[in-house]
Amino acid sequence: MVTKKLEIINKTGLHARPASDFALTAKQYSSKVTICREGGLPVNAKSVVRLLTEGIGQGTIVEIAAEGEDEEDALKALCAMVESGFGE
Amino acid sequence: MAEKDGKLQRIVLTGNPVSDGAVVARAYIYEPWEPDVLPTCFEPEKKQEKLDAFRRAAKQAKAELTRLAENLGPDFGDQAKIFLAHRELLDDEELMSETELAITEAFWEPDAAVEKVFTSFTEMLSQVDDPLIAARAADLQDVKKRLQRIYQGREEQNLSKLENDVILVARDLMPSDTAGLDRRHVKGIITEAGGTNSHSAILARSFQIPAISGVVNAVRIIPQNTLLALDAVKGQAILRPRQEEIDACVRSQNILLSRRRAQAQYLGRPGATRDGISIDLGINIGSCKFEASENYYDFIGLFRTEFLYMEGLCLPTEEEQLTAYTKVLEQANGKAVTLRTLDIGGDKNLPYMDLPREDNPFLGNRALRLCLSRPDIFQTQLRAALRASHRGKLQLMFPMVGGMEDIYRAKACVRAAMEQLDAKGIPYNPHIRIGIMIEIPSIALMADLAAAEVDFASVGSNDLTQYVSAADRMNPAVGPYYQNYSPAMLRLLETVFSAFTAQDKPISVCGEMAGDPKAAVLLTGLGARKLSMNPASLAGVKAALARVSLKEAQDLARQCLGMRTQKEILEHLSAFTAEAEV
Repeated sequence: MVTKKLEIINKTGLHARPASDFALTAKQYSSKVTICREGGLPVNAKSVVRLLTEGIGQGTIVEIAAEGEDEEDALKALCAMVESGFGE
Repeated sequence: MAEKDGKLQRIVLTGNPVSDGAVVARAYIYEPWEPDVLPTCFEPEKKQEKLDAFRRAAKQAKAELTRLAENLGPDFGDQAKIFLAHRELLDDEELMSETELAITEAFWEPDAAVEKVFTSFTEMLSQVDDPLIAARAADLQDVKKRLQRIYQGREEQNLSKLENDVILVARDLMPSDTAGLDRRHVKGIITEAGGTNSHSAILARSFQIPAISGVVNAVRIIPQNTLLALDAVKGQAILRPRQEEIDACVRSQNILLSRRRAQAQYLGRPGATRDGISIDLGINIGSCKFEASENYYDFIGLFRTEFLYMEGLCLPTEEEQLTAYTKVLEQANGKAVTLRTLDIGGDKNLPYMDLPREDNPFLGNRALRLCLSRPDIFQTQLRAALRASHRGKLQLMFPMVGGMEDIYRAKACVRAAMEQLDAKGIPYNPHIRIGIMIEIPSIALMADLAAAEVDFASVGSNDLTQYVSAADRMNPAVGPYYQNYSPAMLRLLETVFSAFTAQDKPISVCGEMAGDPKAAVLLTGLGARKLSMNPASLAGVKAALARVSLKEAQDLARQCLGMRTQKEILEHLSAFTAEAEV
């Protein structure tokens, strides 16, 4: 399993379009992908609805974890999205 | 009201005429399906069968959503996005796997499993303190209903693609129902609710679809697909009409069409009285796409911006608004465009904003009041409007102004938005004209004070009538109390017109009265020189104005001001119109 901690920098946070983009990207990989806000429990990153219920706003520190055959690629792609601020 | 006539009953239904015209067509009953789901379980051995049935329903729902999005076509990109977002929810891992678990492990009937899981996710979403998330909760409910409906084997009723010409019969039509209304096939509208100024009424008039409202129990009484003769001029619909009634309907429609053709000759002429006093005629628009030749109107007197907020799943961004406002300014081609800031609340709600329920929404936190309590929303709109302001002749107008404090506060918000743009070096028109809607009686009574503080004003006659007469314009039971032509209204209008004219500030009327030919003559007589209306009303108003001199209109107004009841005034107006052939 590979993990990485990072900050959500885009203004709207992991809401609406960013959440949907995030889940769609996660789904492209066979690995199990989770996201976990500091002090919270990891949730399935492939589910938009689950991501939304977490209410991850701007400035939140999250840990993304991937486990499976393509875990390295999955983690890299998802972190890149977060770091680019979802193109906002 | 019913009378026996052979085997099947011929029934005469009456209602309020809201949009002129007559038509004979079959009834199309629009009854949005409400889920009836019982929390029941099945025998464990049926597990696979139930799971398969659920998966079939989900697949069918996805296909339905794809079709809906595709049917909308390229002009309705934003509405199509809603359907695609819904389809995405049906691919959601957690949502679908939890539902499947509720079926295979807890043996819930699939529609009950959907109810349970979707509702629990909806609750979780609505606990997140963010308006954008609340929007998704509403989507989840929508998808839930779709799945349950399909599982129960029911067809969706869709008003955007109809096979034949129909008369639509509904309890009420929401803006979302009418968004994609099939204008080619909806030939008439009958609603149970709604006064003469409800959304469906205004929509019917702008599409020139004959319509009546306030028809008690219409949905229950009228069977699907039965023949109806709708005469919206008389305000009646006849179920299973006799041949002579069908003929009368056709005749009545022909007379109306020939009158419209006669009025159409006036369309290309400027608005003026017979003796050449110019009356500026504007149009009211509610989207960036509007159908009006630029030769036919002088200004855009009301640009409603709610569509931007209603068609998406979340608040529109500054950029989205800028694009829309610029588009309208380009189409207006140098003519003044009056942008009315967000007018939400009252009868207009936003699903994703989760506004608190109010006992008296029309007297509540709506329009400017709401904007002042939500500076984030207001500032975004003001910045977008200011950024568009130097690309044409844009002016700002605030709805629901009740006192001078409202004007001071709204202007301070505009200054704050200007400072934000200055800080970033973004250009805008610093001399943008600022005006108000006059629709609350308090500000009408202080019109002289208001006129000193603003560049222009526009009378919203629909709301002003509602507040002056204390009669809800959506409630047919108080329809007779809602009086556009009451002596009180006429006095108030005269006060407002003279206060603004005395200070040389433009004053217009942009409510439904402005588009009514007889009212247009009366308003001119009372002192109005600017009227703004549905583009469809321009021809009729121009034709009416061209037949009277200013002196005649003024005499008419003076006579009406001396009367005691709306009935007297209306009778006098009818007699005058008949004589002047208005």
